Amino acid sequence: MLKTPDWELMIVWYFFLGGIAGGAYFTAAIADNFGTVRDRAVARTGYLLSLPLVGMCGMLLIADLGVPRRFLNMLAAFKFWDPMSIGAWMVGVFGLFTFVSSVLSFTSSEKMAALRRKIGLVGLLFGFFLASYTGVLISNSAMPFWSDARLMGALFLASGASTGMAAVSLLMFVTGATAGEGWGKVKKADRFSMIFELLVLAAFLFMLGSAAKPITTGHFAPLFWGGLVAMGLVIPLVLDLVGHRVRALAPIAAVLVLVGGFILRYVVLMSIQA
Amino acid sequence: MTTNLIDLQHSDVIMATSNMAENHPVGFQWVMKAKERGAKFIHVDPRFTRTSAAADIHVPIRSGTNIAFFGGLINYAIQHNLYFRDYVVHYTNASFLIDPEFKTATDGNGLFTGFDAAKGAYDRTSWKYQLDGEGNPKRDLTLRDPHSVFQLMRRHYSRYTLQMVERVCGIPQAKFEEVAKLYCSNSGREKTGTITYALNLTQHTNGVENIRALCMLQLLLGNIGRPGGGVTALRGHANVQGATDLELLYHELPGYMAQPLRDAHPDLTAYMEKETPKGGFWVNKPKFFVSLLKAFYGDAATKDNEYGYQWLPKRAKADAYSHQHIFVDMYNGAIKGFLALGQNPAVGGPNAKLARSAMQRLDWLVVKDIFLTETAEIWKAPGVDPKTVKTEVFFMPAAPAAEKDGSLTNTMRLIQWHERAVTPPGDVTSDAEFVCTLARRLQALYAGSKKERDRGFLAASFKYGDNPKEPEMVEVLKEINGYATEDITDKDGKVVYKKGQPLNTFAHMTDDGKTAGGCWIYTGVTVEGPDGKLVNKANARKPADDKDYLGHGWGFAWPANRRILYNRAAADLAGKPWSEKKKLIWWDAEAPGNEPSKKGKWVGLDVPDFNPFLAPDAKNGDKPFIMRTDLVGGFFGPLNDGPFPEHYEPIESPVRNLLSKQQNNPVAKIWKVPDQQNELAPTGSAEYPYVITTYRLTEHHLSGVMSRYLPMLAELHHSHFTEISHELADELALKNGDMVTVATPRGKIHVRAMVTNRLKPFVIDGKKVHQIGVPWHWGYNGIAELPGSRGDITNDLSATVGDPNVYIQETKAFMCNVKKGVV
Amino acid sequence: MARTLAMFTDTSLCIGCRACQVACKQWNELGLEVPDWTGTYQNHTHFTDKTFRLVRFIEEPKPTGDLAWLLMSDVCKHCAEAGCLDACPTGAIYRTEYGTVNINQDVCNGCRYCVSSCPFGVVSFNETTGTAKKCTFCNDRIHNGLGPACAKACPTDSIQFGFRDDLVTKAQKRVETLKAMGFKDAQLYGADSKGFLGGLNAFFLLLSKPSTYSLPEQPKLPQRNVVVDSLLSVGSAIVIGLGALLAFRDREQGDGNA
Repeated sequence: MLKTPDWELMIVWYFFLGGIAGGAYFTAAIADNFGTVRDRAVARTGYLLSLPLVGMCGMLLIADLGVPRRFLNMLAAFKFWDPMSIGAWMVGVFGLFTFVSSVLSFTSSEKMAALRRKIGLVGLLFGFFLASYTGVLISNSAMPFWSDARLMGALFLASGASTGMAAVSLLMFVTGATAGEGWGKVKKADRFSMIFELLVLAAFLFMLGSAAKPITTGHFAPLFWGGLVAMGLVIPLVLDLVGHRVRALAPIAAVLVLVGGFILRYVVLMSIQA
Repeated sequence: MTTNLIDLQHSDVIMATSNMAENHPVGFQWVMKAKERGAKFIHVDPRFTRTSAAADIHVPIRSGTNIAFFGGLINYAIQHNLYFRDYVVHYTNASFLIDPEFKTATDGNGLFTGFDAAKGAYDRTSWKYQLDGEGNPKRDLTLRDPHSVFQLMRRHYSRYTLQMVERVCGIPQAKFEEVAKLYCSNSGREKTGTITYALNLTQHTNGVENIRALCMLQLLLGNIGRPGGGVTALRGHANVQGATDLELLYHELPGYMAQPLRDAHPDLTAYMEKETPKGGFWVNKPKFFVSLLKAFYGDAATKDNEYGYQWLPKRAKADAYSHQHIFVDMYNGAIKGFLALGQNPAVGGPNAKLARSAMQRLDWLVVKDIFLTETAEIWKAPGVDPKTVKTEVFFMPAAPAAEKDGSLTNTMRLIQWHERAVTPPGDVTSDAEFVCTLARRLQALYAGSKKERDRGFLAASFKYGDNPKEPEMVEVLKEINGYATEDITDKDGKVVYKKGQPLNTFAHMTDDGKTAGGCWIYTGVTVEGPDGKLVNKANARKPADDKDYLGHGWGFAWPANRRILYNRAAADLAGKPWSEKKKLIWWDAEAPGNEPSKKGKWVGLDVPDFNPFLAPDAKNGDKPFIMRTDLVGGFFGPLNDGPFPEHYEPIESPVRNLLSKQQNNPVAKIWKVPDQQNELAPTGSAEYPYVITTYRLTEHHLSGVMSRYLPMLAELHHSHFTEISHELADELALKNGDMVTVATPRGKIHVRAMVTNRLKPFVIDGKKVHQIGVPWHWGYNGIAELPGSRGDITNDLSATVGDPNVYIQETKAFMCNVKKGVV
Repeated sequence: MARTLAMFTDTSLCIGCRACQVACKQWNELGLEVPDWTGTYQNHTHFTDKTFRLVRFIEEPKPTGDLAWLLMSDVCKHCAEAGCLDACPTGAIYRTEYGTVNINQDVCNGCRYCVSSCPFGVVSFNETTGTAKKCTFCNDRIHNGLGPACAKACPTDSIQFGFRDDLVTKAQKRVETLKAMGFKDAQLYGADSKGFLGGLNAFFLLLSKPSTYSLPEQPKLPQRNVVVDSLLSVGSAIVIGLGALLAFRDREQGDGNA
């Protein structure tokens, strides 16, 4: 007779946007550091995307509190073993990184750019953190399925990557920044992330066995299999492979990946709490 | 009760016939203690309840067949020679010989000798002992004489066989035999058992006989007056015992003395002659009665005016004034005004619809209670147009226990004091303050009356302590306890009691007006300490310990702080304990006597309920039942409906009586009420095929006045409900939680069906009989935010019928119909 | 730290009177809660922000076929290793000097991580105050020399209050007695400080297996996998990072449609 925390739509959004913010940021930082000058649009798009998203994350997190004005109480304690405690700190710290990186993404000074790249190298660690800690947070609860899922953090991270990259790719498409080779690299990285995500998901389900029932059977099964696995991962991959010559298919694939990422958080959170 | 709840821990077997765990959970701790010590616990109840959950054996019994059950046990104990012979021969009237004219119901087809069908009553001429030349009852200590009480009893219960119990009660033979063996074999010198009862036995048209049957079984097994034995009567909380002792009743005065009858008791002399028995402790009744009159009327009561005897109200007849009589009389217009102090008859009494209709016909109604009860808002009753109710209602808010000083007497005769914790808010007053104020204002209105009948009321004092408004409750207790009305001296002229000094014992009461006492059995509860200050023993708080397991230092148990009544029976004829294990009091031949020259005294673990210096070998030194004229326990004990309890079916029953041709108690009281207000279902009615029993839940109290208005209690049950077996639910196509209509010829209610395994149909004489259960705590008022705190009134279903001795209602067994939905 | 206090709930003595539940509501002023229809005497169905003590009514037939009604007064376990306490990010949940676990209502911000971290489903969220609520072990009473209200109200000593070590000894004896009386499934739940969750400061004597009473057979500390889960996440991050790194280091066009 367990009790659910009633983390519903706001937290689904938080988990989803946090994943994108983390994913977009570390994608940007990797592009910034390891890509070419022509990949700079990727970096800028990623940095600039992560900044508002992490802001929204913070707001969602605060709004979902029972006593929002006591948000700062989270910063009165620091418990290194507690995902919620570190998470609260990290949202703040990561927010600073996204802010600085975003500001510096407009610089034309090579010196400042070098600084931005170095900051990005550190910040990407926090990006990875933000994308994955929510999974670790729920897998360290008393809830069945959540607490059985050793790969929840890994899966969320992969999903954060795939959705973050899809978001960057989509944004670049929309803003017409597809000219350089960066867009292609993002899509390539995204493809890799999606394949990896599928592998992790397979391992995730395998390791869970019957504990995965809340999402693999029953009310949430169509959403999981159809919405996440098929529409959110397999179809975008197929679209990407089959239709890579058709430009218009790319944003469709990206949108599907994003929807799939949302569905992942939705089914994971809601299946236990419904 | 004859015993003390603490003593239950020493029982070897406990048989609860009531739902003790649910309705007396605090006392139930001692059952749990007994179980820890290895006692077996039997629960006899139509329903499987929280008491059954704690029981070794649960015995489902069809409601209304208790005498068949006890009769079966009595028969079993006799047939299997399991009774305690020494005890039965010497401490009961089993050996007494009865008039040869007398025949039991076995030979009278359900009727005892002397039934007068025209009068609907018994002529009891033959219900008496054979006397010897000196006027003493003849005895046969071998118990073989066919006219001996024992043989008559044996013959009477010979019909109550295992087969008969199965057919009547619906208890399978094997189960009954298991229980009979277990209960009856815990008898004799080394073992004792006790039986608990409450309203499960009393609320029947043979309620008093039910209890007699239980008592007879206890006597037969030698369980009265002994540790771990006794009759465990579980009285209502918190002060039903106190209310009975002080006689908030229609037929008695405080201390269990009859309220005078107009024709039988025209004057004090006649009253004393008729009411004072020739033997037993009640020979002292004149002392208690005169002291009571002195407490009522003070100095105005003198020898010359019969101590004010003529000022007492007198009953026109015995068959009148009970709760049920009152509401029939009220409905018929004979009663115009009514004070309901802490009572909610709109919900709580039988045939509540009749009670409400009756109260709606009053000129005025005063309700004093802690919440606005249904009675306080009588015009709001469902189906009534408030405009048609002309009754003027006055509501007086009442202080509950925590807002006033006072005492409560619990089921073990234990008087416990409580102190005011908070001052009552606003206009709230205690009942005592209300009564005293009302009385003084009435006295002011009557002041100057020259009428003789008013003199008594004008003479009565309602002043307790210095505060004219608020009575000092310790002073009230002192008046109940009794005090000297003038200086009392001993034969040497030494002052024993100063004027006004509280009496130490009722043994010091006199019939010459020198003592006053409001309730003789309470004497000793307040005494004067060495410093001259009043000591309130009800406030004593020394818990029980190994040296004094009965806890004599905690509160004060009437009479004389005795915890186990008739405890002389705990010792054998010679005054020795029956066994070391079951010792309680015994004769110590070496102890100093009541005079320096004499030796010998009853001593032990309790205050002897016996003359402490009467040696076992002295005359009557072997007769423990001191309150009885014949000083022994009575198997043969005439009540209005017979000297032995006989099974009759409830007034409404699914089956004909299998034990005799006599279907119902031949002398049961059935009121005729106009306007079809008291219709009855015929035996085996197809229209009303199900047995219904009504009961209470732990979470609620009585008509709900102290529980339905308190969220923490009211929320513990979702809403009004009826418990129904799966079998009946299947027949009626009911699901758990469906609304159903429960109907009787008197009324119908709509409640939710709780379908449960805890109720099972009975097989009665080969036929399946369904029984349902309905708690009766709900009414039309409650907490607005909690719809389930309101509900239909269960007592709208019950009938205005009663036991012939005390007119208690039959709400534990009657007939109903159940239909799915609100119809 | 003072000697650890505990509550020992002996279900073999429980008569289901719910005096504990009412005393708790009354002392802690928990307020009205409209119940659901449960089809039995059970109300409410589980702990809530207004129900800290709860009597469970469990109907199950005995092997003989007779009906048994197991009664149990359930409460916050005040675990020695408390999931709620570990989960709390604000430090609102703390351990008292008596070993009990309490929620500081002035600090709690209502994140509800504790709710999901209780292996027994005890901690509940109150919409009005926006904070988490649970049994306080009558913190106000124990700091004033009184036992918890539930234990005080229990008429049969089914709920006993005292020092933990004393109560454990007593409980162990009681199990032996019950076993000798034929209750072969009598067992202690949470008494062993070397057992699960480091022992419960509100522990129980059960007459049947824990799951009969809706108790987990082997409750586990929710936080036990933080390190593993984090390392697996780090692994995932390395793979993703390397993938992205390779994608961006690739001097060729990543995709054909540039």
